[in-house]
Amino acid sequence: MKNKLITPEGTRDYLFEEAAARNLVARKAAGVFASRGFVEVQTPGIEFLDVFTGSGAGIPVEYMYKLVDTKGRLMAIRPDSTMPIARLCATRLQTESLPLRLYYNQSVFSAEPVMRGRSDEVLQMGVEYIGGKGFAADLDILTAAVDTLQTLGTGRFEIGHIGIFNALIQGMRIAETQREQVRTLIETKNYPALNDLLDRIGSGAFVDAMKQLPRLFGDERVFAKARALFTDDGVIKELDYLEKLYHILLEICPDADIKVDLGLVNRNDYYSGIVFCGYLEGIGKAVLTGGRYDNLLATFGRTAPAIGFGVNIDTAALYLCSHEKVKVVKPQLFIHGEPGFEAEVFRRQRQKIAEGIVCEVSAFETEGEALSYAKQNGIGRILYVGANGCREASVVVNAEGKEQA
Amino acid sequence: MKKLRIALTKGRLEDKTVAMFEQLGFDCEQLHNKGRKLILDIPNANMEVVLAKAADVITYIENGVCDIGVVGKDTIMEYGGSFFEVLDLGFGRCKFALAGKKGVDFYDGYNERTIATKYPNVTRRFFEAKGMDVRVVKIEGSVELAPLLGLSDAIVDIVETGSTLRENGLEVLEDVAPISAKLIVNTVSMKLRQQEIEDLIEQITSVIA
Repeated sequence: MKNKLITPEGTRDYLFEEAAARNLVARKAAGVFASRGFVEVQTPGIEFLDVFTGSGAGIPVEYMYKLVDTKGRLMAIRPDSTMPIARLCATRLQTESLPLRLYYNQSVFSAEPVMRGRSDEVLQMGVEYIGGKGFAADLDILTAAVDTLQTLGTGRFEIGHIGIFNALIQGMRIAETQREQVRTLIETKNYPALNDLLDRIGSGAFVDAMKQLPRLFGDERVFAKARALFTDDGVIKELDYLEKLYHILLEICPDADIKVDLGLVNRNDYYSGIVFCGYLEGIGKAVLTGGRYDNLLATFGRTAPAIGFGVNIDTAALYLCSHEKVKVVKPQLFIHGEPGFEAEVFRRQRQKIAEGIVCEVSAFETEGEALSYAKQNGIGRILYVGANGCREASVVVNAEGKEQA
Repeated sequence: MKKLRIALTKGRLEDKTVAMFEQLGFDCEQLHNKGRKLILDIPNANMEVVLAKAADVITYIENGVCDIGVVGKDTIMEYGGSFFEVLDLGFGRCKFALAGKKGVDFYDGYNERTIATKYPNVTRRFFEAKGMDVRVVKIEGSVELAPLLGLSDAIVDIVETGSTLRENGLEVLEDVAPISAKLIVNTVSMKLRQQEIEDLIEQITSVIA
């Protein structure tokens, strides 16, 4: 029983203002999503492990919480929401015509390395634009992402293109396992180990370019720098596309801080086109990540392009708590009744609630106890109900901390 | 403008870094007369310095409480983490090496080998790359003692001149990796203060070249 009083590592309780902040952030994000025609879906908390282990899933099995069902089949506690939605679109929504604009608001779970300060349970909201293809769809989701970020606070936005990384790694002609190692090291920003690995892989134009990739970020000057480094046709094509997208995005969102980061490689391996992330001021971890994933749905049996992003609600709530006062709704009135007057007390409560007053009922025995509770909890008014009728009084805490009623 | 905060590894690397800063014309008065102050100012360069143990330098950089750090490659290899390693500072040169008793063939036979080390991650990776299963024993103090006492077959440790090894009848069997002091940068600082940090890197490059 020694674990009875603590929560598992990587999880926590959210109290009062924290819970209110999470709800507020969720409402703000849902507002942006719904106003652009996205409709909410919910997927199960537990799914078969197979949903998350298909080719290109990119979530290491050791990072998933696993269960065994009554038939001995392996299940995973949802580590990601995009794959269940891809499954959904390929099955129950199979006959629905595309494009589909879906959004979700649910927790994802992952077994993070201990003592790194990361959470195992993260409340995530996001949109998936299934069947959205081409330049217009990319811009659609990018502007939705910028709007979401701006609704949540002040921050900066970064865009990149996974095609550049893919073309480089293709050119390096290395084994699948090494390719995965390179991807993981770039994604976790473990650049020292990346350079050591690349040194071992050897030299050549592609390896040298890969070494430079993580440092290629900034404003539009990045494109010129990149063109000087990369000669591969595939890379140049993606660069041209990204540059065009970047300039139009700047035009649409002139007040947003948007940068280019060619070293941007998100955790999930299913991305196939543009990738992006958003940061809120003073928080080191990305609050928003997303990108295009044109090949994921095919692994579930329905070929369709798609693009989307997810928002880490916990991180956004943390930012909100440190930047504005999140208020918890407090009772305005406390009703205390003498024994035998319960019916009258609760009738009065209903009446007050109907008037829009937040109202709590006393279970104390004496008026004195009721008053000191109201005082302690900052409830402004108290209503006594009893044999002498009703009287309402304000609860005041004077300078000496004594109540006056 | 907020000061750039630099974390230095206490001890030898600190002395070398201060010498380098002075070459760049930074006012290191406070670094010479530290007293009990923990955050030391470099008044003429909009920078401040904190001194820390090697592994803590990495923790500070990773968590973004310091922007730039000076730390040995040995610590980076052992603790890893997400940050940019931007420059080899050229000082603090030595190497990781596998060492064992003189005249004994370490690779002979099929028995499982035991390796004593202060750097279990480096050791494990080194033998993994060879496809060899070894037992790793973590030692905090004088690692050279382990093979002498019969606790291990060999050690993986930092070797500078090799005199401690020789005096104890040990020898280097194989080099594992070269080590030197590195300049590391927090990933977010690198983006938000790109110009300042790149200027500093350029200045440093000019004196170590």
